[in-house]
Amino acid sequence: MPTVFVEKDRCKGCTLCVEICPHGVLEMSKEINAKGYFFPFAAKPDECTGCRNCVMVCPDCAIQVEVKGKVSERPKALAEKQVHYCPGCHHGIIHRLVAEAIDSLGIQEKTVGVAPVGCSVLAYDYFNVDMHEASHGRAPAVATGIKRGRPDLIVFSYQGDGDLASIGMAETVHAANRGEKITVIFVNNAIYGMTGGQMAPTTLPGQVATTCPYGRDVNLAGYPIRMSELLKELKTPAYIARVAVYDAKTIVQAKLAIKKAFDYQVKGVCYSFVEVLSTCPTGWGMTPPDASKWVESNMVPYYPLGEFKNPDKGVVKETER
Amino acid sequence: MAKKLMKGCEAIGEAAIQAGCRHFFGYPITPQNEIPEYMSARLPQVGGMFVQAESEVSASNMLYGAAGAGIRCFTSSSSPGISLMQEGISYIAGAELPVVFVNIMRGGPGLGGILPSQSDYFQSTKGGGHGDYRLLCLAPSTVQEAADLVQEAFDLADKYRNPVMILGDGLIGQMMEPVEFKKVINPEDLPEKPWATTGAKGRKPNVINSLYLDPEDLEKHNWKLVKKYEEMAKNEKRWEVFNLDKKADILFVAYGTVARIIKTAIEVLKEKGVNAALFRPITLFPFPGEALEETAAKCKHVFVSELSTGQMIEDVKYHLGKERKVHFYGRVGGMVMTPEELVEETLKIVK
Repeated sequence: MPTVFVEKDRCKGCTLCVEICPHGVLEMSKEINAKGYFFPFAAKPDECTGCRNCVMVCPDCAIQVEVKGKVSERPKALAEKQVHYCPGCHHGIIHRLVAEAIDSLGIQEKTVGVAPVGCSVLAYDYFNVDMHEASHGRAPAVATGIKRGRPDLIVFSYQGDGDLASIGMAETVHAANRGEKITVIFVNNAIYGMTGGQMAPTTLPGQVATTCPYGRDVNLAGYPIRMSELLKELKTPAYIARVAVYDAKTIVQAKLAIKKAFDYQVKGVCYSFVEVLSTCPTGWGMTPPDASKWVESNMVPYYPLGEFKNPDKGVVKETER
Repeated sequence: MAKKLMKGCEAIGEAAIQAGCRHFFGYPITPQNEIPEYMSARLPQVGGMFVQAESEVSASNMLYGAAGAGIRCFTSSSSPGISLMQEGISYIAGAELPVVFVNIMRGGPGLGGILPSQSDYFQSTKGGGHGDYRLLCLAPSTVQEAADLVQEAFDLADKYRNPVMILGDGLIGQMMEPVEFKKVINPEDLPEKPWATTGAKGRKPNVINSLYLDPEDLEKHNWKLVKKYEEMAKNEKRWEVFNLDKKADILFVAYGTVARIIKTAIEVLKEKGVNAALFRPITLFPFPGEALEETAAKCKHVFVSELSTGQMIEDVKYHLGKERKVHFYGRVGGMVMTPEELVEETLKIVK
């Protein structure tokens, strides 16, 4: 029988695991952990089928599941250090997927990551690989310098929407257009998280942020930028995809896309870009499960998921997605 | 290597290659386009990499990336472009990375003009970008010296893990003079940089970073940088004293192109019975203040001349003290003083 292990003091009580469990195995405790959060426990352990959805969705890597004597593990490329992100923030899930891709391709010892400015500014502490901390928006330029200097390395940047689509738009477009052999992980949560929830270039029409308290007015701020669609129009980039991590299915799809993006770089195919729709429960003012649902109901209609460019298929047409 | 007649900009490019640099990241701007053009032709011939960035902001961040990965790299630009590079320069200084910058100065502020100037002295010697940091700043006055200093700049950048700025002007960049490259370094012979991001194989991950959220750590880091600048001040001050025997009627203080014009003026003044000498700082940071003090003590008058409205003069006055009168003559906007103008100004002072 599968067993769920909860490292309770790592938990931030986001409840995403409780929501994702298809069999209602997990419930939140009545007591609090060392951080002051309620944490999950296996209330109906007999119902567990060992699907490990809870492992995948936990942004804090606080859950492991044993199935037939095999315990799920923390990816080697993910550092032991606890992430500082707010409860339920998808950054933790995406970090794990990036680390899993690095592990599965066996490239940890030759990977160099570039952290952005934004919520994930400390990403250099969370990946077990050589890292650079870049200035705001310049991660693709920094990654270009590293990769041109040492083409044998696998280089990725990890950037949010303010960093990549606003201040770093020029660096993003030109690195893509030069066909830099790098992988860009773009975490789009439609808001500036770290600075306190200001409007981003990706904030949805009508969406409230601290610098658009009456909702984004497209007459003043224009429509949100669809980065994947924009980059797709360039001839050079090889792989462009948009994924999300709001439920088990999308997490698996995201995992595949991120692995593919790294794999194309390993094979020497140029520029790969994965946009991951993500949440900001704090900035949006929602519970983590509501924020995840909001991605599906509000973001996905404007930011459709799928592959936009694939080196094996060329530009993927609208109808094929 | 035999002497070759070369344009200043091209000599700077070749000097970098002979110093073992194989990576250039830059963006076109007049009057230094011959450097990126030269590098784009030469680097592929020697297995190097030339990247034309989308902006100077991006170029300076590419340098941050390459230097962090342990690559000997450099760029060149001119004043407005160097302003755009300040973001990268500040991060490079903060993360303690070795990068060589060349600024072929033109007149400002703003878009200014495209003709020679020395108006970026403050920017180069007092910081330029945000935060408490210094660049090691070298000012050549001949094409040969430009080549020598570029070669040396790479070693100094590595030695101190600090950005080095070569401060030239349009005249140095555009004139042709015979030049000889004194060193030839094979990049493969350069020492390993154990702190660089080369892939964490058999060691803990390396991180290239300038972020210190804990104020105690940042304070420590700031003082550590100061120690480094003090070390530079102890070891690296360079200057030239010209035409000073025991005493002089007047001491010119000037760097770069202006110092050359002064050398001609000194010859003319000799004929007029005025004994003039020149003190030429070669390192602008660290500024050779003590040597200037000693030299000035032997001279009746001190006369600073710059292609600016008066920037280096502040360092001169700082070292010579309030009591000492310091005369000044500057031309700006791309206008360059003639030896005759300097002679005339000198005669006003000494008579």
